[in-house]
Amino acid sequence: MADMLSTGVSGLLASQIGLSTVSHNVANVNTDGYSRQVVSFGARLPEGQGGFYIGTGVNTVAVQRAYSQFLNSSLWSASSGQGRASAMASLTGQLNNQLSGSTNLQTSLDSFYGAVQDMANAPSDTATRQVLLARAGGLATTFRALSGQFNQLSGQIQQQIGDAVDAINTDTQSIAKLNEKIRSFSSTDGTPPADLLDQRDALVKKLAGEVGISVVPQNDNTISVFAGNGQALVTGTEAHALGTVANVYDATRVEVVGAGSGSVISGRIGGGTLGALLDFRSNVLDPAQIQLGRTAQAMASAFNAQHAQGVDLYGAIGGSFFDVAGPAVQGASGNTGSGTVTASIDDIGALSGKEYLLSYDGSAWSMRDTSGNAVALSGSGTSADPFKAAGLSLVVGGSAGAGDSFRVQPSRDAAAGFKLAIDDPDKIAAAAPFAVSAGAGNTGSASPSVSISDGSDPNLLAPSAIVFSSPTSYSIDGGPAQTFTPGQPIVHNGWSMQLNGAPQAGDSFSLQANSNAQGDNSNALMLGKVANLGLLDGGVTSAGRAYSQLVSQVGGAGALAKDELTTQTAVYNQAMSAQQSVSGVNLDEEAANLVRYQQAYQASAQVISTANSIFNALLGAVRS
Amino acid sequence: MRVSTSWIQQQSVGSMMNRQSDLSDLNTQLSTGKRINQPSDDPVGAARALDMSHLIADAAQYQRNITSANARLGLEEQSLANTGNVLGRVRTLLLQAANGSQTDDTRGDIAAEMVQLRQQLLGQANSKDGQGEYIFAGNRTGTQPFASQGSVSYMGDAGQRMVAAGPGLQVATGDPGSAVFMDIPTGNGRFAVSAAAANAGSAVAGASSVSDPAANPPAWDGGSYSIVFTAADAYEVRDGGGVVLDSGSYDPDKGGSVTFRGAQIAFSGAPAAGDSFALGASAKQDVFTTLDNIIKTLRTPNGGGAQMQNDINTQFANLDQAIDAITRTRGLVGARMNALDQQSGLNDDLTLQYKTALSDVQDLNYYDAISQLGAQTTALQAAQQTFTKIQGSKLFDYLR
Repeated sequence: MADMLSTGVSGLLASQIGLSTVSHNVANVNTDGYSRQVVSFGARLPEGQGGFYIGTGVNTVAVQRAYSQFLNSSLWSASSGQGRASAMASLTGQLNNQLSGSTNLQTSLDSFYGAVQDMANAPSDTATRQVLLARAGGLATTFRALSGQFNQLSGQIQQQIGDAVDAINTDTQSIAKLNEKIRSFSSTDGTPPADLLDQRDALVKKLAGEVGISVVPQNDNTISVFAGNGQALVTGTEAHALGTVANVYDATRVEVVGAGSGSVISGRIGGGTLGALLDFRSNVLDPAQIQLGRTAQAMASAFNAQHAQGVDLYGAIGGSFFDVAGPAVQGASGNTGSGTVTASIDDIGALSGKEYLLSYDGSAWSMRDTSGNAVALSGSGTSADPFKAAGLSLVVGGSAGAGDSFRVQPSRDAAAGFKLAIDDPDKIAAAAPFAVSAGAGNTGSASPSVSISDGSDPNLLAPSAIVFSSPTSYSIDGGPAQTFTPGQPIVHNGWSMQLNGAPQAGDSFSLQANSNAQGDNSNALMLGKVANLGLLDGGVTSAGRAYSQLVSQVGGAGALAKDELTTQTAVYNQAMSAQQSVSGVNLDEEAANLVRYQQAYQASAQVISTANSIFNALLGAVRS
Repeated sequence: MRVSTSWIQQQSVGSMMNRQSDLSDLNTQLSTGKRINQPSDDPVGAARALDMSHLIADAAQYQRNITSANARLGLEEQSLANTGNVLGRVRTLLLQAANGSQTDDTRGDIAAEMVQLRQQLLGQANSKDGQGEYIFAGNRTGTQPFASQGSVSYMGDAGQRMVAAGPGLQVATGDPGSAVFMDIPTGNGRFAVSAAAANAGSAVAGASSVSDPAANPPAWDGGSYSIVFTAADAYEVRDGGGVVLDSGSYDPDKGGSVTFRGAQIAFSGAPAAGDSFALGASAKQDVFTTLDNIIKTLRTPNGGGAQMQNDINTQFANLDQAIDAITRTRGLVGARMNALDQQSGLNDDLTLQYKTALSDVQDLNYYDAISQLGAQTTALQAAQQTFTKIQGSKLFDYLR
């Protein structure tokens, strides 16, 4: 009957292990990454009794975690996608908030141009001129405020990139340490403890939420982890930390580097929070800043150009109305030569919204945009014949070393420096510079219109008389006869006169400074028209329209991020459900198991008790 | 399928969160009345709403411009009406003065009133608008345009202020004083007739005109001619060099008209042999000079003879040209105000359209939103009830 006792004890022990496991499962019902553990039992080898075998009880074969490598891998990849989508949604949400606030550029533009037209209605009234300056100041403030908000967000992103890299490094170190423990358990016990594996899997999932990774299991139960582009993060028991360095062109911009190689991998990281940060920075925020800068440059240059076509109340040609920053050029930190590059805007309509790298190979300069496409340069780069490409005019100076490069940002920070250039209301050039009249006895149909072609000509405002000796020949102020080509302007003293219609012999036109004309609003009317003037993209997009484009661009990114978050969350939930359906703890199931093992335990105890009473009966038989 | 207890709980909580976030969005929409509260709510719609707001702001500014232009034109119109009244009074007085019953004294009285009228006229020509700008100074609105030192000279320029009344529509909001008061043609607008000072007869040149003024080349060539009565009943037309171009007979009792080269001049009274009348292309004469000439004529003590009649007739023609200029300018002002009114109506229509479009793009459909609010609230309550039910039924509860 000793067999019965030992069999009962084996059942008792097995049930205890079952009960412990149930308890462990119940205790870890809310532990993140925990996989429920399952006990498997096996019958002991039976004792041969000649022709038959008698069972000897139960053995606990294993306590294993319920686990599927495939479902876990799907979960990691879903976690990567979800981490990216949620970071992206939060970043684009922030940017969208900034554009939906009270700093609406369109409103500022409208109230500014409204003030221009009010000024055109009463050009000699100081009050309307003051209002115009105030509104112009408001417009400048809006440009700077928007730019400031973008810059602030950009600064936050630099910070967050650093934080994300730190978090990744902490996690990879922990994974490497777990690898070490798991390996040592594997070499001593053969199977590593399920709870350590769970811990490691939870860390991998967390890491996947921070950066897109691929995981390769090794034979010794360790895992190797690689960032999306193949950069090793963990190999065996070794963690490879990522680092951050300043951008070679811009010390305030953080780039991610791989530990061993030290090469910049910012552009090759996808997935996770870090992927979202880098993607948002280069594909949403940078273009938004550039678009705002372009809008500021277009607005200022068009308004300044028209302003310079008029005269102010002092009788002087209108000066700059707005100040705005031009293109910025930054040399690479590793440049060896003393070369310098200065860039200016050649044609605002041709600005593309891209940024460029200008590099010197020792004999020639070449340019490509930041996505790597070559851009043809015309000209020779001297100040007399600058390089011209993509609406820019570039002058190189000093002696650049071979391999030196410069980054050209045509519009990036233009809006930050947008400000009013005049503070005297009388300096608003509302009047036309010239009083032009056709001779009283003119018989031709020509009517003149004059614009300033060179505002710096010292004789610009000197009076002139043009007399036609024939429909194709004229002289200015009694000078030599010149040939008149219909459609071509007559240029003299820095002004340019266009004749609509055909002049006849004997026709005359006189031009003089428009003196004392404080009631003239000709140029103010033209300034008002700048509001709807096509400036960008080859002269089709007005400043207001460019801002709407910015809004729809940012809004589009936000809507996309929202949609993607919904999708990725669904994918993540699906993966999580699938994984949890295998590995998750179900309390009802555990309750049932509890009852099961309890009953088994009680039954085994009963077996022992029975064995005991049988044994006692035997002893009693012997005693009596 | 197995489900994990903690996951099912997380999911229930997650779905309640989603419902609540939907409700919060609806709350924002309902409290702002706008469907688009962030560009990401509808990127295209957000951009379109901006464009629409810009168009509405533009149209509102055009309306402001029109209001300001109407005020300016109204003042000009008022000033021109006053000027017309003054000139009308001058004309009435001149008619009276032309009456044969007047004496030198009564004409002197009339002249005295005319001096007053000339002052009034000058005042009107120098009138200012509400901002203290001279209305008839062209662009030199800060300079008094008409300075009277003996004769009147114009200190303004020929500029004309425009206003933007609509997309592509600019309307003038003033007329330079040079066109209104200064550059007025003399005579009938094409030529002027004047009697020689030495005329001895009683012949008076009356109405004159140009036949077929639209002909090309014009019948009237704009040259200088003289009509010389060689006898009381015969005349000759001579050119500037004294060459006789035409001749004819004249009936001193009935009067008659002389016609040559497209010009027609009516004569009455009996000329003396050798009397002559000069014909020349119209010159420019300002209205003040015309008044000065009238006053001078009326003050000439010569008893109202043919010389005075001829002078008065000449001044009549000039005065009518001045009145004509004022009337024409008033017509122009009226036409501009008309155009502004029409444009204003158009701007209103456009504004309404833009506002409707803007509302379509960004405004919330309340019926939709409120029914959604009901549905979302129900969904949230359902999720909450389900949660408590599911969480409340556990096998462990029965293991007692």
